[in-house]
Amino acid sequence: MIEVSGLTKRFRDRAAVDDLTFRIARGEVVGLLGPNGAGKTTTLRLLTGFLPATAGSVRVAGFDVFEEPRQARRRIGYLPEVPPLYDAMTVRGQLRFAAELKGLRRALLPAEVDRVSRLTGVNGVLDRLTVNLSKGFRQRVGIAQALLGDPDVLILDEPTVGLDPIQIREVRDLIRSLGGRHTVILSSHVLPEVAMTCSKVLVLNAGRMVGFDTLDGLIARHLPGRTVTLDDIAFLEEIFGKLVIPA
Amino acid sequence: MRATLAIARKELSVTFTTPVAWVVLVVVAFFSAQVFAGALDGFRLLTSRAGEIPGGAQLLERVNLTDAVVARLFGSVGLFLVMTMPFLSMRLVAEERRTGTFELLMTAPIRPVEIVAGKYLASLAVLAVALLLVALFPAFLSVAGRGAQGGGAVEWPTVAAGLLGLFLLGAAALAVGIAFSALAGTPVVAALLSLLVLLGLWLAGMFTVGAGGAARNLAAGLSASEHLAPFLQGRIALPDVLYYLSLCALGLFVAERAVEGRRWA
Repeated sequence: MIEVSGLTKRFRDRAAVDDLTFRIARGEVVGLLGPNGAGKTTTLRLLTGFLPATAGSVRVAGFDVFEEPRQARRRIGYLPEVPPLYDAMTVRGQLRFAAELKGLRRALLPAEVDRVSRLTGVNGVLDRLTVNLSKGFRQRVGIAQALLGDPDVLILDEPTVGLDPIQIREVRDLIRSLGGRHTVILSSHVLPEVAMTCSKVLVLNAGRMVGFDTLDGLIARHLPGRTVTLDDIAFLEEIFGKLVIPA
Repeated sequence: MRATLAIARKELSVTFTTPVAWVVLVVVAFFSAQVFAGALDGFRLLTSRAGEIPGGAQLLERVNLTDAVVARLFGSVGLFLVMTMPFLSMRLVAEERRTGTFELLMTAPIRPVEIVAGKYLASLAVLAVALLLVALFPAFLSVAGRGAQGGGAVEWPTVAAGLLGLFLLGAAALAVGIAFSALAGTPVVAALLSLLVLLGLWLAGMFTVGAGGAARNLAAGLSASEHLAPFLQGRIALPDVLYYLSLCALGLFVAERAVEGRRWA
C-alpha cells in the first residue's frame, strides 16, 4: 500500500531523511519512532507529497505521490503535527470544508461529517468555534478531518499529543480498530503508544532507518531470550536505546 | 472548480469574521464621503458664482456634474483602493502558512491554481462590495437631482466606465497583493511590499517631471493612475484594459508559482 524507495530529503546540505526504503502492506499499522529531530515529521510530509523529495520515490496505493499527486492524495488522510484548523470556523464548518477539498459529493457531506465526528467523539462540539476548543479536542477534530472520505491510507503525525490519558486510550482504540481496513502510519516518541497500537515499528535516527520489524521481531533480535508482555513496556525503551545510541 | 468555490466561500466567511474587511470597507466609504462632499460643494460654488465672473456662462456650459463630482470622487477612490487592497490580500496565503492550515490545502487532491483562484475570487467579491458602496454616491446624486437636464444630470455610462476602471484597478492590486502574500513570510511583510509596489505604480507618472521622450512614455505606460483616467472620462480603451488585465495575470501567475514552489511549511 505504501512503497518507499531511496527516499532522501536534504535541507541545504543537511540530510533530514536519508535513503529510506521500506514497504507497508495493506491493513498494517506502523509506528514511526525516533528521538526529536530524527526526521519523523519530514518523512510523513514526504509521504503525503507536501514536501518534494530530493531523491527517491513514494507510491501510495499504486500512485506516485510526486508524479500523480492528486490520485495519491485522494487515498490519503493526513493529520499534520499541528492540526490544521481555521480559528474562525465551527467544527462542522471545518469538517465540511475539508470534505469539499477532498472532493466528496455535496449530498454525502452531512452523513460523512456525522460519521467521522462520532468516531472521534467530537459530535458534541460541532457548533463550537475551533479556536475555543481544548488542545485535546483540536487534535480529535484533526483526526476526524483525516478520516473524511474513508481513505485507504492514514498518516498521523503524533496523534495523541495533547490528549488526556482517557482520550489517549480512546484514540489508541480507534487507531487499532482502523487497522485491517486502513493502512496506518503514525509517528510518536511515546514508546508505549507504539507498542500498544502498532503491528510494526520503524525506528528512525538522524534521518536513517535503524530498524523496521514487528514487535516480536525486534524483541527477538535485540533482547534474545527475554519474554515480554504488553504490560511490560520498558522493553521497548531498552531496544530503542540500543538502536539509537550507537549513532 | 468545486474546490475553488469551497475555498472562496471559506475565505469570505473567514474574511468577514476578522476586522480587516470591515475596516477596508469603512475606510473606503468614509474617505469617499469626504471627497464627495468636498467635490459637491465645489461644484455648487462654481455653478452659483459662475454668473459673477466674466466668461462664466461659457464655463458653465463646459462643466457637468459627472466630471466635476463623480470623476473627482472616483479618482480619489483609485488611490484608496491602492492603499487598502494590500490589507485585504495580505493574509490570503501568508496567514495559512503561518498557522499551518496551508498543509491541509497542499495535501488535498487539488491543484495550486485552484487554491489561488478561490482566494482571489473571494477578495474580488469584497472589492465588488466596496465599489457598490462607492456607487451609492452617484446614485444619491441621481435621486437628489431628479429631473435635472444636461450638465446637472448624472451620466450613467460615464459612471459605469469609471466603476469598471476602478474594478480593474482593484483586481490588479489584489493580484499583486496575493503574489506578495504567497512570497512573503508573514502577512505584514506581504502588505508592506505590495503597498510599496502599488504606490510606485500609482505614482509612476510623477517620476517623469522634467524627464522627456522615452522615459516619460515608459513611466506613463507603467502608471496605474494614468491608465485609470480615460475610464473616469467614460472612455474604455483596449490598452488600458490590457494594462490592468496583464497586471492581474502576472500577479496570479507569480502567486500560483509561489504556492506550488513553497511546499515547505
